Amino acid sequence: MAWKHRHLVDVDVFSEEDLYTVLEEAVRMEEVMKRPLKKVPALRGKVVANMFFEPSTRTRTSFELAEKFLSADVINWSSSGSSTAKGESLEDTAKTIEAMGVDAVVVRNKQVGTPEYLIKKLNGACVMNAGDGARAHPTQALLDLYTAWRHFGSLRGRKMAIVGDILHSRVARSDIYAFSKVGVQVVVSGPRSLVPLHVFDLAEYEPDVRKAVKGADMVYALRIQRERQEEGLFPSIDEYHNQWGINEEVLSHASKEAVVMHPGPMNRGVEIDSFVADGDRCLVLDQVKSGVAVRMALLFLYLAGGGDR
Amino acid sequence: MRLKAVVMDDKEMDLTIRRMAHEILEKLGGAQDAVLVGIQRRGVYLSHRIRDVIKSSGYGEMGCGELDITFYRDDLSMMADHPMVHSTSIPFDITGKDVVLVDDVLFTGRTVRAALDALMDMGRPRRVLLAVLVDRGHRELPIHPDVVGRVVPTSRDELVEVYVRELDGRDGISIVAKE
Amino acid sequence: MIWLRNAMLYDGKTLRDGSWDICIEGSRIAKVIPCEAEKTALKNEGASCLDRDLRGCLVCPGFVDIHAHFRDPGQTWREDIESGSKAAAVGGFTHVVAMPNTDPPVDDPSGVRYVAEKGRQAGGAVVLPAGAVTVGRQGRTITEMIGMAKEGAVLFTDDGSPVLSSKAMRIALLYLKDLNIPLMEHPEEVSLSEGGQMNEGRISALCGLKGIPRSSEIIGVDRAIALCKETKGRLHLTHVSTKEALESIRKAKAEGLNLTCDVTPHHLVFDDEMIVKSGYSPAFKVNPPLRTKDDVEALWEGLKDGTVDAIATDHAPYHVDEKDLTFEEAKFGIASLECAVAVVLDEWDKRGKPFDLSRLLGLFTAGPGGVIGMDRTIKVGGKADITVIDLNREQKVDVRRWKSKARISPYDSLTLKGWPVMTVVAGEIRHAL
Repeated sequence: MAWKHRHLVDVDVFSEEDLYTVLEEAVRMEEVMKRPLKKVPALRGKVVANMFFEPSTRTRTSFELAEKFLSADVINWSSSGSSTAKGESLEDTAKTIEAMGVDAVVVRNKQVGTPEYLIKKLNGACVMNAGDGARAHPTQALLDLYTAWRHFGSLRGRKMAIVGDILHSRVARSDIYAFSKVGVQVVVSGPRSLVPLHVFDLAEYEPDVRKAVKGADMVYALRIQRERQEEGLFPSIDEYHNQWGINEEVLSHASKEAVVMHPGPMNRGVEIDSFVADGDRCLVLDQVKSGVAVRMALLFLYLAGGGDR
Repeated sequence: MRLKAVVMDDKEMDLTIRRMAHEILEKLGGAQDAVLVGIQRRGVYLSHRIRDVIKSSGYGEMGCGELDITFYRDDLSMMADHPMVHSTSIPFDITGKDVVLVDDVLFTGRTVRAALDALMDMGRPRRVLLAVLVDRGHRELPIHPDVVGRVVPTSRDELVEVYVRELDGRDGISIVAKE
Repeated sequence: MIWLRNAMLYDGKTLRDGSWDICIEGSRIAKVIPCEAEKTALKNEGASCLDRDLRGCLVCPGFVDIHAHFRDPGQTWREDIESGSKAAAVGGFTHVVAMPNTDPPVDDPSGVRYVAEKGRQAGGAVVLPAGAVTVGRQGRTITEMIGMAKEGAVLFTDDGSPVLSSKAMRIALLYLKDLNIPLMEHPEEVSLSEGGQMNEGRISALCGLKGIPRSSEIIGVDRAIALCKETKGRLHLTHVSTKEALESIRKAKAEGLNLTCDVTPHHLVFDDEMIVKSGYSPAFKVNPPLRTKDDVEALWEGLKDGTVDAIATDHAPYHVDEKDLTFEEAKFGIASLECAVAVVLDEWDKRGKPFDLSRLLGLFTAGPGGVIGMDRTIKVGGKADITVIDLNREQKVDVRRWKSKARISPYDSLTLKGWPVMTVVAGEIRHAL
């Protein structure tokens, strides 16, 4: 079997078979994480640069662990204190790193299209998207898919409700692609001012969160950012919480076995209640664990093997 | 792929495996503090059969694990295709134990080398023994088997195919020409 | 003396039958005669005559571009009047109007004089100055339009932005009425478009880029039309891109308003899907943004039925460092002066020539000419401003050979059919292939 993709930009180009290949590979990686010596030499000698121009501890750490568990050498580049803070362009930064001998670049940036830009500018290093603006966050979608798949066994025919700021969410977009591809019905909910005008091209929209989660097996709460309220896109945190916050009562409308997911970090009391967040229906910690395994699987698929690239 | 010769049919294979199981017991001096680890994929099924023979001979149930060596291959970066990674599950501590590595075919020795590295990352066995169903020669590393089912001399343009009923629907060993 | 021989002829009103010879003496057209006559004259004229055989080509009145950004004064790392003028000549234009959103903006008579003088001597197309409507383009006080018109300003616009206050726009429309010079409005509602990167639509929803709502242009157009109606002033709406705006213009014209409009070549050939198809290439980032396929069709319909008066390039050159960035970081604007005519001719041909060639040529001649009050006909005694095009010539766009300083364009490497092959300005050949 050959992994056809050269770069990881978004899950929209993955076939259903591709998605399951990643999931199966992640199961193997979970086994590695359970060993006393959490390391295999699969990527020994490969160098991966984590270029995170947007702050992120969780995703970067998750990638870093994944890279290290596979014995790759890791460089971390974050925006503050680096040459980019001194005004060096993205292009120059990436080329400098590549010139130092890097096999892959994991990049997070707030500009949409950053992975395509780097692919164009670099000379063959593999580019993996850790989040570009509001467009895509493929590794998050894959770890979400993996978490749900491990929990339920099979996903086809199930329903998922994504609640929150869809407009600005790369997590929502990538999740919608990934879950729809495996046959999950995805419904989005949230204030209309926080969904794209043409949301229907992405997923079904239901303004009432209780109707949206009806019969849902997975309720996915997105993080609400304070800046959006400051921009005037919705009136207050309080009103958001009252209308769309995920609490026990809202969950009672979902399926009896419904689980709650969140990309983290959680705003307790805003989009999700502490009771729900700490309850046993909440898979947030599983998501975190899955994150390392899924990223290991992706690193392995993209960087090991493949002849000479 | 063209069949060149049948080395063993299912009955002969069963007899050979039984003999191997007893040879292993002999070399171990019993089944205490010893475990079997089958190398994915067919080594796993062989290791199960060896365990079953040892158990039915009254020597107790040996721990049996499975090991996928893909991550430890020395030729990962040269492969054109992605190898399928199968499960690794060694649900016991191997430190201080005698580990019997089981594989279907011993060829260049590189797979066993990788398996040894993997085992070393998982613990510190007291000793490691190697049991293979077929030794087809052409070693590229100084690896020797302790228990062999059959030595089958082959040329480099041939392949030795071991069939197990769990995967292939039948048992047997054949030599085929590489196309 | 110059003889242009064996060419087809579009005289500014109709496409004439047969082949023609045109004689230029000094800066004027001396003769316009059918090919058969005066074949013998060739031998008599002598060495002081330049003779060009334009078999297969079409002679037209000089093309005019009423909307180009030359960044001069103040931003000349992007373009200047000289490079812009030369680029325009290569693009087949004899005259081009330079937008006033420079640094400082052209918002007083001395600013206009600077552009007018430099523009006259630039060596390519004649560069005509445009003046800002309000001082600093801030939307508060109107500029000294009478003084600026005397110095040569051919239109007034705050382009780059709409006129920021409706009150100032109304005053300007009234003030300009007696000068009979149009106010060119860039229709946009800034509070809606702020932060937007591309057309708000299906594609922006899918790719997470902030959308520029269509209502921004629609509100801009409707406001301008309302003021035009009330003041009965002369209004020109530039780079119209949405079908709704075009429909408003159609209705307003039917009511008899003194209204004209133009569209850009890029809005005639690209739609917002190109942004994703090109891998988020900033070459496609422009304001107003590329719209949907339906809008593109509506614009072509507008070219056909006369709702659109002119094609104007909105040539927006930038330095590579300002454009070769990620989509969101790059500046808005498409550079196209040297290939704009070819882009339109090529697309017109690809679409199966949906309307007459003479109608198409009018969009580069009488249409824009009418906006700035410039006669665009070929007649004996008239000024020898001539554009010669070869409808069958196929050529690849190569930005590295451009006279313009811009090096990033969505047209780079495209092979187009139909190119300007000669540009004559007041009897001087400024460009010839």
